[in-house]
Amino acid sequence: MAARILIVEDSTLVTDAFTVLFRQAGYDVEIAASVAEAIELGSAGTIDIMLLDLSLPDGSGLDVLETLRARGRAPHATLAMTGHDDSRTRRACLDAGCADVLVKPLPIGELLRQIERRLA
Amino acid sequence: MRMPDQLDPAAQKKRLKALETQAKEAQRTIAELNSRDALKTQFLSNISHDLRTPLAAIITHAEILREGMLGELNAKQRDSVSGIVNGGQQLLDMIDEILTYVRGESDQITLSPMEFSITELVDQVRMLNQPLAAKKKLTIERLNGDELPSVNADRDKLKHVLGNLIGNAIKFTSDGGRIWISLSRRGKNAEELMVEVGDTGRGISRNNFELIFREFAQVDASPSRPHHGTGLGLAIARKFVELHGGTIWVESELGKGSRFFFTLPLNTPRD
Repeated sequence: MAARILIVEDSTLVTDAFTVLFRQAGYDVEIAASVAEAIELGSAGTIDIMLLDLSLPDGSGLDVLETLRARGRAPHATLAMTGHDDSRTRRACLDAGCADVLVKPLPIGELLRQIERRLA
Repeated sequence: MRMPDQLDPAAQKKRLKALETQAKEAQRTIAELNSRDALKTQFLSNISHDLRTPLAAIITHAEILREGMLGELNAKQRDSVSGIVNGGQQLLDMIDEILTYVRGESDQITLSPMEFSITELVDQVRMLNQPLAAKKKLTIERLNGDELPSVNADRDKLKHVLGNLIGNAIKFTSDGGRIWISLSRRGKNAEELMVEVGDTGRGISRNNFELIFREFAQVDASPSRPHHGTGLGLAIARKFVELHGGTIWVESELGKGSRFFFTLPLNTPRD
C-alpha cells in the first residue's frame, strides 16, 4: 500500500506543486489548509508523513502536532516547513516532536530523499 | 548701554516661542519619519515573505519537469526548464537577503554560537561556490589555517558572510582569475582571528570603500549596471561580523583586485 502524506499548507500554489510531485513519486496525498482541517484528517486515519507549514490561518502548525499526539494519532514522522531557517524556530519544532525542519523550497530530490528516509 | 544684538524682553519672549514651535514641529516630523520607516520595513518584510510562496511553487513545478517526472524532456527543453529553476533560485536568494536585512533592522537577529572548525566552514563554502567559479574558470583556494583552533561563533551567520564575500569575488572577477581565502591570528595575544577573501578582479576605488558596506548602496547603481543584486549583501555581512564583536573592511585598488578582511574575537561572542 502506498504511504500516505498529509500536506498541511494554506497556499494552493504550494500544495498543487507538492501534490503533483508526491503522486508522481507514488504516494497517497491528503491536503489540509488549516489547523482544524489537519486535525480532522490526521485524527481520521493513519498518516505516515506530515509536511507541516508553521504559519496557518487559524494558528501554528505545531498546534496540529500537539493535538494529534495528545490523541495518540501522531504521524509516523512530521517534517516542519518554514520560509527561513532560524535556530529558535528549529528548536521549537524539534522540541514539539518534528523529525526535522525543512526550509522551503527544498530541492525536490532532497525532499523525496527526506521522505524516503523517514519511511524506511 | 544696550548691545545692538540684545532683544527687549518682549522680543525675546516672541523668539523663544517661535523656537519652541519649531522644535515641536521638528519632533513631529521625526516621529512621522520614524513611523513611516517602520511601515516601510514592515512592508518589505511582508512583501518579501509573500513573494517567496509563489516563487517556491514555480521552482518546484519547474524541477518536476526538469527531472522528467512528467515525461522525458529533450536536451533543449531541459535547458530551458533549468533556466526557470536557476532564475527562480537567484530571485529567491535576493528575497532572502531582503528578509535577512529586514530582520536585522527590527533587531530580530541574535547569535546562536557553537564550537566549530573555521577551516571546515571555509572549505564547505568554497565547495558550494565551486560550480559557479568553474563556469568562469576561476580558482578558489584556501591558503592556510589548518593549525587554527576551533572558533565559538554563529556558524550559519559566518557561512553567510563567507558566502557573500566569495560570491562577490566570483561576480567581480573576470574569467581565468584567482580567488583565495587566508586565515590568520592577530592582536597582541593572537586573540583575534582574521579572515581574508582576496581576488584578482576589477577592484574598488578608495572613494567607495565605505559606500559598499552601506545598505542599498552599489558602486554602479544605474539600471544598466552589469551586476544586479539587492545591494544588501555587504551591509548584512557587516552586521553579522559586528554582532560577533569583529570588524570588516576592504583593501583594494582599481584594476588590481580586492582583499576583504574580517576579524572575530576567539573568545566567546556576545549572545
